Amino acid sequence: MAKEQKQVRELQEGSYVMMEEKPCKIYAYSTAKPGKHGSAKARVEARGVFDDKKRSLSQPVDAKVWVPIIERKQGQVVSVTGEDAQIMDLETYQTFTMLIPDDEDLNPEDEIEYLEYEGQRKIV
Amino acid sequence: MFPGAIADREVADYVIVGAPLDISTSFQPGTRFGPNRIRRFAESFDDYDRRTDQFFTDLRVHDAGDIRAWDDAPEYSEWLAGSVRDAVWDDAVPLILGGEHTVTAAGVTGVEPDVFVCLDAHLDLRREYDGNEWSHATITRRVLDKLDVDEAIILGARTGSPEEWERAESDDVTVVEPEAVADWNPDFDDESVYLSADIDAADPAFAPGTGTKEPFGLTSREMRDVVRAVAPYTDGFDVVEVNDRDDGQAASLAAKLLREFVFSHAATDD
Repeated sequence: MAKEQKQVRELQEGSYVMMEEKPCKIYAYSTAKPGKHGSAKARVEARGVFDDKKRSLSQPVDAKVWVPIIERKQGQVVSVTGEDAQIMDLETYQTFTMLIPDDEDLNPEDEIEYLEYEGQRKIV
Repeated sequence: MFPGAIADREVADYVIVGAPLDISTSFQPGTRFGPNRIRRFAESFDDYDRRTDQFFTDLRVHDAGDIRAWDDAPEYSEWLAGSVRDAVWDDAVPLILGGEHTVTAAGVTGVEPDVFVCLDAHLDLRREYDGNEWSHATITRRVLDKLDVDEAIILGARTGSPEEWERAESDDVTVVEPEAVADWNPDFDDESVYLSADIDAADPAFAPGTGTKEPFGLTSREMRDVVRAVAPYTDGFDVVEVNDRDDGQAASLAAKLLREFVFSHAATDD
C-alpha cells in the first residue's frame, strides 16, 4: 500500500494525511496543552485531494495516523475534449484521460504536473 | 453535562462546548468556573417549554464537555475555533459556555457570520486593554477588525472609553442603549448572524456573578426577548462572563438564555 504510518505530531500544514480512508492535504494544524491530566492533543483540518471534501481529526500527538505517499508526476497534453484532457505521462509514455480543473486552460502540447495515488489522478 | 443535552454527537443539531477561559478578567475573576456553574444551575428547569410546546430533550442537543483552557489566548482560541468548526461542518449550531468574553473570537472564527449581535454592558471596542489585544475588553473590536464581520450590533451597552465611543460611530457599529433595547427589533435578510450574550448586559441585580458589574442594565426579560428575537437568524451562540461569585443568579440566567435560544431556534426550523 502506498502509505506510511506517522505520529500526529509529525504532521504539518501542506503535508498529507489519510482521513476516512481518503488522502487529504492539511491546511490547518493546532495543538492543545495537556494540563495535569491527559496528553497534548492536535487537531488537523484537511481537504480531500481528489474529492475536495473538508475533514478534521483531533488526536493525542503520539497517536498514529496513515500518511498517503502521493506521487507528483510530469505529463503532456495530447488532446482536449470538452472538460477532459488526454494526458501522456512523460516518464512512462502511458496515456490516460483526466478532468481539467476549472481554473486551467489547457492546450495540446502543454506540459502539466499531476498527482497520482492508487489509480486516482489530479492535475495541479 | 448540560441537563437535557442527551443527544449523541453524530445526530446533534446543537453542540454545547464549555470554554472556561479566565486569564484577562480585569476585576473579579472566576469565569473558569462558568461553564460548570451554568450546567449546575440548569438542573432545576423543566424539560417542557410551554411557549413553543417543545421538550428540550427532544431537540437533539449534545454537550461536548469543556475544552480545557490554558494561558495563551490566541492558541486557545485557535483550538476552540476548531471544535466550533466541527459542529458547523456537521450542520449543528455551536453553543459556547464561557469563560471570559475572549472565547467569542473562537465562536465567530468557526461560524464566519456576516453580522455580530452582542448583548453587553461594555462596548468592548478597545484595540487593547492593559496592553493586551486579546483582553476580554477587546472582543467586539477583534470581531470587526480581525475576523471579517461586516456589522456589529451592541445591545445594552452603557459604558466605554472616548476612543470606543468614537469607533462605535462608524457605519459598521450600531449601539442600542439599555433604555431602547425593549423596542429594538432585528432586521436581517439572508445574513448569517452570531449572537453573543455577555451576562453583564443584565443589571447586576439580576446577574451579580460576573467580573465587571455595570449598573443601570437590562432586565432578565429584556435579555430573553432579544435572544428569542435573534435566535431564528442565528448560526452560532455563546453566553459568557459568568463566574461563581453569587448565589447562582448569573448562571441560572445564562442557562435559561441558552435554553431560550434553543427553543426559539428549533421552533423556527419546524
